Amino acid sequence: MPLIELKNIQKHVLRDINLTIRDRELLALVGPNGAGKTTILNIVAGLTDYQGEVLFDGSTMDKTPPHKRGVGYLFQDLALFPHLDVAANIAYGLRIQKYPEATIAKRVKELMDALHISRLEKRHPHSLSGGEKQRVAIARAIAPFQKILLLDEPTASLDSQTSKYLRIELCSLLKKLEITAIFVMHDLLGAEEVADRIAILHKGTIEQISRPGDILFNPKTRMVSEFIGMPNILHCDDCRILSSGLIEVVSGNMTIVLPYEGSTIKKIAIPPHDIYISDTKPPGPALNRYRATVTEIVPLRSVVRIKVNIDGNSLLTELPMETFGEMNLDIGQEVFVIIKLRRLRYVEEFDDYHR
Amino acid sequence: MTFKKLAISMSFAVFVVYGVLILSLFYFYNGRLFFDTLISERTLFSIRLSLFTATVATLISVFFAIPSAYALSRFRFPGRQMIDTILELPMIISPVALGAVVLIFFNTPPGVFVQGKGIQFVFTIYGIFLAQFITTVGISIRLIKAAMDEIPVRYEEVARTLGASPAKAFFTVTIPLSKKGIIAASILTWAKALGEFGATITIAGSMAMKTETIPIAIFMRLASADIEGTVVLVLILITIGLGTLYGVRLLTRKATALIR
Repeated sequence: MPLIELKNIQKHVLRDINLTIRDRELLALVGPNGAGKTTILNIVAGLTDYQGEVLFDGSTMDKTPPHKRGVGYLFQDLALFPHLDVAANIAYGLRIQKYPEATIAKRVKELMDALHISRLEKRHPHSLSGGEKQRVAIARAIAPFQKILLLDEPTASLDSQTSKYLRIELCSLLKKLEITAIFVMHDLLGAEEVADRIAILHKGTIEQISRPGDILFNPKTRMVSEFIGMPNILHCDDCRILSSGLIEVVSGNMTIVLPYEGSTIKKIAIPPHDIYISDTKPPGPALNRYRATVTEIVPLRSVVRIKVNIDGNSLLTELPMETFGEMNLDIGQEVFVIIKLRRLRYVEEFDDYHR
Repeated sequence: MTFKKLAISMSFAVFVVYGVLILSLFYFYNGRLFFDTLISERTLFSIRLSLFTATVATLISVFFAIPSAYALSRFRFPGRQMIDTILELPMIISPVALGAVVLIFFNTPPGVFVQGKGIQFVFTIYGIFLAQFITTVGISIRLIKAAMDEIPVRYEEVARTLGASPAKAFFTVTIPLSKKGIIAASILTWAKALGEFGATITIAGSMAMKTETIPIAIFMRLASADIEGTVVLVLILITIGLGTLYGVRLLTRKATALIR
């Protein structure tokens, strides 16, 4: 059943949305606030009226109320039932659908084990941490054997470490349970970690839908390019494997070192805000540190875009307005540029995508 | 004086006003007369009648109030504003006027039909139920609606995506979550019904051993200049009223402490 099709959907900001989500696919909807991401989830769940057609596995759902659609929904605010303990929260959907008590107990235990929350069984939501609440809400959403799961910013409220861990764990759980999922996320990097495909949504239209790496390396529209932060794309002319899992890549007159296990890299993406500029020589090893000349300064609202030239390679960098104010940079000035190693993304020769 | 102290003293001033009023009752308090009046058949009947009618009227009020409050809290429908406004009626016009309106209704052809073929309201216990119901149902709806407004619709949406029909979501999520508010609303409804006088005397009259609730008995004693008797009945009303409110508050605090 889990193949989802949206045809000519109109609602509020959404204009003529056409979208197909494959069986067992994890699709991420990414875009700025007000793009219509949550509205799409509400339409799939049947929580709001709409114009157009929603089909699950070829059958129309337009007249089917939410409780008969079999769609699990992890809301951004989680909304765990405060009057029920963790086990009862997870069991809620199963009880409502009148599953036998033995099945309920087995399923609840299974999910609590899978999400590592067994010890919370008798606790009430108000006594749980953010991450624990998230786990309980996930278990509750998929407990009644839902084959489709909608997740609205599933890890937005967590600190980045917990959030990353949970995202990856959630992703493997969804694959294991063969669930088709639509994630809403505002941040592309988070989406890249979990999604099979990413749809970039802007002002109610889908700007681009493709595999994670494609968006970063081949943004199709100006909006997508701006949304992902206009990364610097470097084409690799030569590669040399170094010791301890590092590779040295030559692009033009620049050499960049990055952690990599394979043999050949085709392209590298460097987000502008991951390039540091310093007017004095920074301390530490000379790894990925270059002398450069400032060629262009474009002040925006809260950041300043600075183009620098490193031995003939032009790179776009971004500085917070405050930092820029403290540095007194001028066009033609000599600066030091450092590229953060761990933020690099690359495409391999066989066009697979990795971090 | 700090603002905090000023605010606290204001609350004490209000307490003192009521305290002095209650204490003044004891100026006319007569111990023997108190017990004689208390155990007299007529007083006991009034107590029983008051407790019984207030409880029945509260049940009817809350029965209508819960779904009405839910509708007003959750749905936007034509006529919603009109209903919301008319709920203020018992609060803006005096209960006597409300009772008079009911009496007038029973003198119109549809009213005569109801009285003749259905239930006889005028000068009967059913009249007391009706009087207490019409004076309390509006407030009951208001209070329960306020409690339901506090509960995010999100919980019901979650229930819907987990397979609950709208009615199931209402009974398994909304009702348990607004339980505290519903209990509080019921207590206040009951207290208001217990003290209801104007509409009751207008519709049901003041027949001893038939429709004489405690407030009506107080009025009758006062009208016949029986000050000591009045004092006794007022004290009984205060004791029952405050005692019940206090008791139920204690109980609900324990109950809510348990679900927390």
